[in-house]
Amino acid sequence: MQGIERLLIEILLNFTTAEQLNAFFGDPRRVALLISALVAVATALCGVFLVLRKLAMTADAISHSVLFGIVAAFLAMLALGQTPDLGAPLLLAGATAAGVGTVALTELIARSKLVKNDAALGLVFPFLFALAVILVTRYIPNVHLDTDSVMVGEIGVAWANANSHCFANCAPVTITADDPRAKIARRCVNCTAEGISPRDPRAMFEAYCSNCGTFSAAEAWQRRLISAPPELVFIPRALVPLSSVALANLLFVLLFYKELKLASFDPDLAAAFGFKPALLSYSLLTLVSVTAVAAFDAVGAILVVAFFVIPAAAAYLLTERLWQMLAIAPALSVAASWLGYEVARSLDISISAAMVSLLFAFFMLIWLLSPRHGLFSALIRRERQRRLFAEQLLLGHLYNHQRTADAESESAQSTLHEHLNWTSVKTTRCLARLRAKGLVDFEAGQVRLTARGEALVRAFRADLMAR
Amino acid sequence: MLPEDRRVWRFIGAVALSMALSVPLSAALGVQYDYTLTNVALGGALLGALCGMAGTFAVLRGQSLIGDTLSHAALPGVALAFLLFGREPLALLLGAAATGGLGVLLVNWLSGTTRLKQDAAMGIVLAAFFAIGVALLSYIQGRADASQAGLDKFIFGQAAAIIVRDVVTLGAACLLIGALLLTFWKEFKLLTFDPDFAQASGFPVGRLNGLLSALIVIVCVLGLQLAGVILMVGLLIAPAAAARQWTRRLEQMIVLAMLFGAFSGGSGAVLSALERGLPTGPLMIVVACSLVLIALLFAPQRGVLWQRRRLRSEV
Amino acid sequence: MTNSSYALEINDLTVAYRNTPVLWDIDLRVPSGVLMGIIGPNGAGKSTLIKAALGLIPRAAGDVRFFGLPLRQARARIGYVPQRNSIDWDFPTTALDVVMMGLYGKLGWLRRPDKTARQTALAALEQLGMAHFAERQIGQLSGGQQQRVFLARALVQNADLYFMDEPFAAVDAVTERAIVNLLHRLRAQGKTVIVVHHDLQTVAEYFDWVTLLNVEVIASGATDSVFTEENIRRTYGGRIGALPAALSGSSEASAYVA
Repeated sequence: MQGIERLLIEILLNFTTAEQLNAFFGDPRRVALLISALVAVATALCGVFLVLRKLAMTADAISHSVLFGIVAAFLAMLALGQTPDLGAPLLLAGATAAGVGTVALTELIARSKLVKNDAALGLVFPFLFALAVILVTRYIPNVHLDTDSVMVGEIGVAWANANSHCFANCAPVTITADDPRAKIARRCVNCTAEGISPRDPRAMFEAYCSNCGTFSAAEAWQRRLISAPPELVFIPRALVPLSSVALANLLFVLLFYKELKLASFDPDLAAAFGFKPALLSYSLLTLVSVTAVAAFDAVGAILVVAFFVIPAAAAYLLTERLWQMLAIAPALSVAASWLGYEVARSLDISISAAMVSLLFAFFMLIWLLSPRHGLFSALIRRERQRRLFAEQLLLGHLYNHQRTADAESESAQSTLHEHLNWTSVKTTRCLARLRAKGLVDFEAGQVRLTARGEALVRAFRADLMAR
Repeated sequence: MLPEDRRVWRFIGAVALSMALSVPLSAALGVQYDYTLTNVALGGALLGALCGMAGTFAVLRGQSLIGDTLSHAALPGVALAFLLFGREPLALLLGAAATGGLGVLLVNWLSGTTRLKQDAAMGIVLAAFFAIGVALLSYIQGRADASQAGLDKFIFGQAAAIIVRDVVTLGAACLLIGALLLTFWKEFKLLTFDPDFAQASGFPVGRLNGLLSALIVIVCVLGLQLAGVILMVGLLIAPAAAARQWTRRLEQMIVLAMLFGAFSGGSGAVLSALERGLPTGPLMIVVACSLVLIALLFAPQRGVLWQRRRLRSEV
Repeated sequence: MTNSSYALEINDLTVAYRNTPVLWDIDLRVPSGVLMGIIGPNGAGKSTLIKAALGLIPRAAGDVRFFGLPLRQARARIGYVPQRNSIDWDFPTTALDVVMMGLYGKLGWLRRPDKTARQTALAALEQLGMAHFAERQIGQLSGGQQQRVFLARALVQNADLYFMDEPFAAVDAVTERAIVNLLHRLRAQGKTVIVVHHDLQTVAEYFDWVTLLNVEVIASGATDSVFTEENIRRTYGGRIGALPAALSGSSEASAYVA
């Protein structure tokens, strides 16, 4: 990671200066927006397939059990004598293993047919999470595994969690006694031992160098040992991992688009084509684990599932096409995150929570208003359908009885509602609509089909049979 | 009664007896049953029994994960209740139940009226309600981070803060829910097994469903204090999942689930008292899941080792 | 208008799922004491007809009467055997338990099944040849055995009108025989049985009354008069593979109808 960061900065330094970079990455707002955008894109891309393949709760389970992987890896590093650093690759590996392991373990249990799939899931991730909590409280109580930030994230301070890279005047400085910058002082060698004061004639002195030793560039600058400060560039720690993950997810989706599409909608066919849906599935879930870990810093373990599921679900309510879902979900997520940040700043509330709340608000709006799948349009459609059915039924009733013996009684305007078992209000309204459309006529208290009405009934009947 | 059923009842009796004996046994082994421990152990046992009751139906209805959604959805209710009524425990419980129930309704509504399936609906409600709760909490506390004791306790549970009143509440809930289950036993049984036939037989399926859901909501909300948001669902599922392996009668399953649950809850508390720094909730889950593992391996007829032995003897 | 000599009388029944009509303007009159098969292609609405009649799914229009009475009042006289595929067979219950569930409706609230209930249930299982499976957990039974347990459950309901949804689906020969025997026994007792059936070959053999259904009622009446080649063609819209051998008059089935 450090190497990649350094490379990235070196490239950037061709186009801009260190000061500009530091100014850019030193702005909390800009960094928060950048990081949240990366999280949004990375999670939404996975999320689309999670929603389509009914893996939403699996994602929730993974985001909880990766904590176990992190803790286990953390302890392993401690045991191996290394100083665990939250950015270490072993931690990422452990987390990913835990995430994938959750799915594998769940499938193992479910395959025994003794426990159903969802119950198995609901056993595995609480168990792993419980183990994680026990391990943490028992063995690492003092370490900065700040539970709240892990649960809820701290995107507001992402800019401050930065790595520094030095580009000029970086060399450490070593001062020896004969260095012109060395400060020589005298000290008494036998004062303490003999209990005498330095002014005592028996006191013996030796010369020593008071500022000798090896100092880093920054320390040397502080002690005024060098004339030019080290040129440092600070880059937020979360940036490179998140960018890599977002890029990886994007590549995955682009490269395996048609395989993913087929496997999500027709796994048997995909297997027949040799696409190995199981492998795709596990790859997807591995990416989900990695994404979840990368996103923890920003949005926390409990809320990350919101970024996986909600934008994708909202996109699902807007479109039928997969590629549109893959475009809409990230866009929606970025918009909600950015808006959420501003709202959180102004109301002084948790940033990640505000982002998710806004995401949910967008979702609810889409649920209500989506033209094709929204609630309102569904209600309107149902009402329209109800009316059409009623009209067809009435027409059909007239058609059936018009040349029979009881035509008079069955088609009488006043008693029609009884035959249909409708309220008279409903019947009157329906008749009025049909009359307006020119499909029926009133004649001496009787309702008659017009020619158009008859033709419509026949067409409808033919349509039904042709299905 | 068939010999096989009698055997299972004997097994259940043995389980009950050994669980009861574990209390004086642990005391003899040096566990100090002081005020706090007694409260937590008793509360844990009662909660475990409740989870056995509610979890049996949740698991059989295929609604195992609703407990996860429920516990997350309870947070905004707690925050709102706190905002309006302060630390009044009854208000907090009612608030939790209110938003929890609302969450479940929303899940059903979403999955019933759109193309979204139940898992997506559960995920949405779970995360969104929790986020709203966190936002509310951070607003209440007037700071941009919700890193107050409130959220921490909600996520991880605060078993040590259990007082007698909480234990009494749990006990009352046990009696109430037990009574409800006894009264409507055959209706719930039929409803869970064959809802169409139940409706055709004339039972008010909608209202019975609502009642059963309400029971699950109550149990989840009561358990939040001890188990915390994330672990609650495990405590709900594990006793029932374990119990299912030992019997083929629903009556036996629910009794066994209550026993397993009570044991998990109680021993979680006791184990956490053995050493400083061991959290209660997670230990309950570990015990409960261990019981599941034992059941999956050793139960007669269904257990993995049993089946393997049968295969080998047949070959 | 409604005649109580009909076991089932349906007027103008319409059921829609989302935007498509599944049942349209159904008029049906079933006399008492017949053994009726409901025949039609997949998606024709056969199961829907039963479910809508029993109030299990909402209907857009129409009226259903049982012996002249609305469902609420007639429930005690109706028995129902639903399809097997919506059941969780891992449920912890025995065959006897399931059969006793048929008595729950009559017991009402608060009362528990007692010894008499148990005897009744055992007797029903006996009738279906399942008595020695009484204490078996239902998941351990074969498909045919499960079907017979469901039939026993309907039997204890002691109804006058039975609805059965695809009872012959995926059952073995023994079970098929058992079901047919049961149907004849019921008819001999004067009961009315309405069966959703999928196998054209056995219609004439099993049923004396038949309704041909494809969203609308194509024809309904005595099997001899209604179960004709013309009607079958109209019902299946030319999608049948082979006409029933008995109909075509020759021992070979007709050529594939495209």
